[in-house]
Amino acid sequence: MQASRARLFKEYKEVQREKVADPDIQLACDDTNIFKWTALIKGPSETPFEGGVFQLVFSVPEQYPLQPPQVRFLTKIFHPNVHFKTGEICLDILKNAWSPAWTLQSVCRAIIALMAHPEPDSPLNCDSGNLLRSGDNRGYQSMARMYTRLAASPKKGNFGNEQAVILLMNLANPGDDGYRCSGLDLEVGI
Amino acid sequence: MQNQEGQLAADGETEVTCGIEDWANFGGGGDGDIMQQQSSVPFVGDKEPLSALAAEYQSGSPILLQKIEMLGDKYVAIRRTRGDGNCFFRSFMFSYLEHILEKQDRVEVDRIKANVEECRKTLQSLGYVDFTFEDFFALFLEQLDDVLQGNETSISHEELLNRSREQSVSDYVVMFFRFVTSGEIRKRSEFFEPFVFGLTNTTVEQFCKSAVEPMGEESDHVHITALSDALGVPIRVVYLDRSSCDAGGVSVNHHDFVPVPGNLPSATGAGSESIDPFITLLYRPGHYDILYPK
Repeated sequence: MQASRARLFKEYKEVQREKVADPDIQLACDDTNIFKWTALIKGPSETPFEGGVFQLVFSVPEQYPLQPPQVRFLTKIFHPNVHFKTGEICLDILKNAWSPAWTLQSVCRAIIALMAHPEPDSPLNCDSGNLLRSGDNRGYQSMARMYTRLAASPKKGNFGNEQAVILLMNLANPGDDGYRCSGLDLEVGI
Repeated sequence: MQNQEGQLAADGETEVTCGIEDWANFGGGGDGDIMQQQSSVPFVGDKEPLSALAAEYQSGSPILLQKIEMLGDKYVAIRRTRGDGNCFFRSFMFSYLEHILEKQDRVEVDRIKANVEECRKTLQSLGYVDFTFEDFFALFLEQLDDVLQGNETSISHEELLNRSREQSVSDYVVMFFRFVTSGEIRKRSEFFEPFVFGLTNTTVEQFCKSAVEPMGEESDHVHITALSDALGVPIRVVYLDRSSCDAGGVSVNHHDFVPVPGNLPSATGAGSESIDPFITLLYRPGHYDILYPK
């Protein structure tokens, strides 16, 4: 517990210094709990996520850094290795390939790399994985781009209804710590 | 042992398919399947007479029984470690610290501290961020100081055993060795490349990231060579398996990992027989324990 706290504090200080260095990642620690973090990451260019800003939530275990942080997307994303409803991420370094050499910051970088290089053979989102596996790259790109504009675009002018739905969902599930679209099947409304 | 190996492999496979049920279990603060499956065995066991080893194979292979009997000529006892993929590092940790505690070899402590400093510089030059490894280094150096008697923080043999069984110390020291091993392999990547490639078909960097640095990843001769070289500590590994010579004679093989002076990439393991390793490990396919010479 003490060890993880000390380590997280070092990461906190490092993040303050690195803020300028990496404009694609904004990592922030909860004001009252150093085991809770959030990050905003920019969708990598030349991918269907370009132009989007995606929010991640980190829950850091007491055995950190011997154990990996739990990370998931709060922002809806259409990607083979991200669960469409829960935002869970399938990435080896968050599981068996974790080591203390990673940091919250470098995990964000790894997630950005995963966005650019999906692994359709171990999918959490089978629809997305199947599009890529069947060679329908265009279909994948267009779905992914649509959700980027729908859920991850800073200005949602074109999707007024969608925004309203999300707002409603947040009101309906105030206790739900962050599933912006939990229980809502977005496909239905489109 | 065979059984455990099978389980390890199976567990490894399930982790690749990131099912959602994984996620549900994830928050439980568990150590993961690999760590948990053996939690009944302590990280480091009690010293047991060699007969305890023979008892394991009572109805097993006659070759193994014959070999264990031969081990009795040179060795008296065994100390088991948990088969959680960290057994080599854990055996090395306990064996080394126990040696220092018993011999009070301050010259050796000074020597290894200099090597540890070198390892720190190696990691820095490879681009590792200080705060990612410094806690692990500090904890190992603390254990080194504590096994030397005469300080306020000096510890007994019993306390060393307690600490080796406590995750907050034991796993941190194991992780320290993993950092040191990884740094050494990457620093001398040209030397290690063919061995790594023969073992896993990957690049040195990928190997270090996936097979050295993560906890629970089993060690191979590449890890042992690198750790022995980096810390300058010779290690003897005695092999206990079913192999036998055609010539009819059963013999127990061992291999000495002798650190190369100055890390010259020429003669690892070969060379001077004059150094008698004070660390002896017993290798059975898939697992390392500590062996005590007479």
